[in-house]
Amino acid sequence: MIAMNSRRYAFRATGIVLRSMWHRAEGRFSLLVLGVWILVSLVSVFWTPWSLWWTDGYHVWQKPSMRHLLGTDGTGADVLSWLMAGSRTNLLICVLTVAVTAIFGLLLLAAMLARATIFAQISVVVIDALISLPTVLIALILAVPFGPSVAVIIAACGFGYGLNLARIARPQALLIARSGYVESALSNGARASGVFLRHIVPNIMPVLTVQLSISAGTVVLAESGLTYLGIGVQSGVPSWGHSLATSVSFINIYPLTVLWPGLIITCIVLSLNLCGDTLRDCADPLSNVQLRNAQFNSGQERSGQVRSGQVSSGQARNDQLNRVTTKGSGQ
Amino acid sequence: MLRRWDARQITQYQNSNDRENIMAENLNSGDARSTTTGTTGLVHDDQHVAEQSTGTAGSTDDSLNSYQKRHRRVPPWIWIVAAIAAVAIIVGGVFAYRHRNSTGSVAATSHSISIGLKLAPTNLDIRNETGAALDQVLIGNVYEGLVARDADNAVVPALAKSWTVSKDAKTYTFTLNAGERFSNGDALDSKDVAWSLNSLISNDYVNAQALANVESVSADGATTVVVKLKAPDATLLWNLTGRAGLVLDEDAQYDAKTQAVGSGPYLVQSFKQNESLTLKANPHYWGSHKAKTQTVVLRYLTDDNAAINALKSNNVQVLAPITENLSSSVSKDGNFVVKAGDDTDKFVLAFNGAGSKTSDKRVREAIRYAIDNKALISSRGGADAMLGGPIPALDPGYENLTKLYPFDQAKAKKLLSEAGYNASKPLKLDLEYANIYGTEIGDQLRSQLKTVGIELNVKVVEFSAWLQDVYTNKNYDLSLVDHNESHDFYTWANPDYYFNYDNKQVQDLYAKAVSSTTNSEYESYLRKAARLVSEDAPADWLFNYRVTTAYRKGVTGFPLNLNQFQLPLWNVQYRA
Repeated sequence: MIAMNSRRYAFRATGIVLRSMWHRAEGRFSLLVLGVWILVSLVSVFWTPWSLWWTDGYHVWQKPSMRHLLGTDGTGADVLSWLMAGSRTNLLICVLTVAVTAIFGLLLLAAMLARATIFAQISVVVIDALISLPTVLIALILAVPFGPSVAVIIAACGFGYGLNLARIARPQALLIARSGYVESALSNGARASGVFLRHIVPNIMPVLTVQLSISAGTVVLAESGLTYLGIGVQSGVPSWGHSLATSVSFINIYPLTVLWPGLIITCIVLSLNLCGDTLRDCADPLSNVQLRNAQFNSGQERSGQVRSGQVSSGQARNDQLNRVTTKGSGQ
Repeated sequence: MLRRWDARQITQYQNSNDRENIMAENLNSGDARSTTTGTTGLVHDDQHVAEQSTGTAGSTDDSLNSYQKRHRRVPPWIWIVAAIAAVAIIVGGVFAYRHRNSTGSVAATSHSISIGLKLAPTNLDIRNETGAALDQVLIGNVYEGLVARDADNAVVPALAKSWTVSKDAKTYTFTLNAGERFSNGDALDSKDVAWSLNSLISNDYVNAQALANVESVSADGATTVVVKLKAPDATLLWNLTGRAGLVLDEDAQYDAKTQAVGSGPYLVQSFKQNESLTLKANPHYWGSHKAKTQTVVLRYLTDDNAAINALKSNNVQVLAPITENLSSSVSKDGNFVVKAGDDTDKFVLAFNGAGSKTSDKRVREAIRYAIDNKALISSRGGADAMLGGPIPALDPGYENLTKLYPFDQAKAKKLLSEAGYNASKPLKLDLEYANIYGTEIGDQLRSQLKTVGIELNVKVVEFSAWLQDVYTNKNYDLSLVDHNESHDFYTWANPDYYFNYDNKQVQDLYAKAVSSTTNSEYESYLRKAARLVSEDAPADWLFNYRVTTAYRKGVTGFPLNLNQFQLPLWNVQYRA
């Protein structure tokens, strides 16, 4: 019964968030682009206009035609097919990097909020030190023993962006960790890990959303950069970076072949960033009235159960609301 | 008097549409028929008159005669003359202009020319520093050998004007030209030659192994050098065209890393590592290849696009080599000439002779049948040549072997199934090659081999990694590298080379070829050996790379063939 209710709420909330995103121009744009991306990735698993294995040495660098809608590349392969197949590699990289970033970042965040002060302080210093390592350098170091691969990109970017995420989310998380409701939860015997997941993570969601969407956008750029440097995806694996890297040295003669992957990367990165922004606004009960009402209603339904998490979570939002209003009145 | 009047009348006649005037004319002519056309157009009237005057030629009538005279001034030949005169003036003017222009450009023959090259030498020490980039710029320009190569890779006289070979082919006697000098003014004689060759052998400088067969080198008088061999060596003369045959000045004191004292048409003015090498005409040059351009600047441009921009902006007048696929942006521009020259670069897709899968001859043959070399060449721009065996057209022993393993996917599939591979158990192979060759070629090979059921895993690595894995450790299935050296068939006769190719017959044939006493014998042994190698399919010779050069119109005398090995520049000129 409880599970069903919360699942129903989750569905409703998702629907509300998507709907409010759709009502914003930039939200609609990003949802459309991301939707097409996912669709094309799925289609490319089963079908591409030409086989990826197909090359034709007699027809290289062809201009767009009915035979090859976006022309052919330097091996005579179909550019459109490679871009379509590349979208699934990039989607995979994107999703996995976001996952790695989230997990790694939250682990670091937890370490920085540890109650053992020395441990927390050491992790702050270590993170500050590690954050100075450029992602490209990490990828280069990883590529030496493992060779270029998708995993290297995900590991290097996940590591780098996770550090960033933890560093940026720390001030807000710290504020919540020291709040009264967290202390009361702890004194009521709640476990630290439970407090972290139930109180701290939901309250830093806006920061997480934005940071993760930026990570998703940046990893698309990083993929093409690393592939260009020869430490990204392996030769023969379709990706936008691969399409870009193989054509970029011919930009003076065949600019169109460079244009397509460049355009796609720009569009995707833009919509990922816009998506993060609108998602933060729409998924925040403070600014989305519909969502707040839905939450309130579902909270009513569940009022019979004693769940400290829910209660204090609501309290946290009220705290936040107060903070926002005082800030607003101060200006 | 009459003339003047006529002229006035004509102008009047021509200029006026006035009826009265024309009436007067008609009256003057006394021709009644004309009056009927009185007010019609001038031309019309004139035609009538012309008819009439021809009709009444020889008339004694005064007025008629005068009319005739007056109108003889008008006929078309005046215009023809005028037209001819105009054309003559225009043509003359153009000729004069062009003449002036050409004399102007004779005066503008540039005293300097810049040439863009790709690979830069680390330093100029030709005895200790390896690398073709050094041979390319110094041999034939700054240093000269006893003999040299011509554009077709054949041996021609240089410091030695002639030579004789003893019957047993073990003694070579070279006769030097008279009056040879180094760029520092010192005379070059047979003692310098003997010292150069002997010190190369005794100090084991770069390329000393080329003279491994030499027993002694001695000076016999000022202009005769005698080279004695331990055994006949058909490769000796060609070897002497390279570093092994260079003659240096024993007495000269200079820093070999940044300076050079040779006997060639140029001397080194300055050397900036990885940037440029400036050559200046040698004032003490003794021979017939006197430098036509005073200063030649060789600029090292590693980035292809930057190199093309340098050519377009006239920072360099010549670019050698230019990436073929990139050259279309230059060749479209009417100011440039893009041409391919012959070369000895062999893109060798080697199959590890000791590999677990590639030691099976059927597998190797299947790969050769499965590769569409023509498509590979076409995708690169089409300038490269087909190559069916280890010896390219510019080397001795060449034979067209491209028909041994033509592109035949059915045969490839058949051989693979004979070797025990099929759709459920496909042949999986690794291809490792250096990233300097680009990813395209690997992608194409993977796609071509996929069609016959071979799964190729392409690893594009740093050149150092390739050297480690393939060249040193011989740990590979398939490897791709550009073997650019000329006369390098010996690699197939060496079982320890990374090919892991061990064929006793080939080794014997090569030994016989080297010890043969005549050129034709040498070539026929090599031809036989090359055919044997190709039939064994230890590699696929993907294509014979031909070097593409682009230069600004007005540049003459730049060598196109083999210009990445030796680049004689004495004949190069640039007229802006």
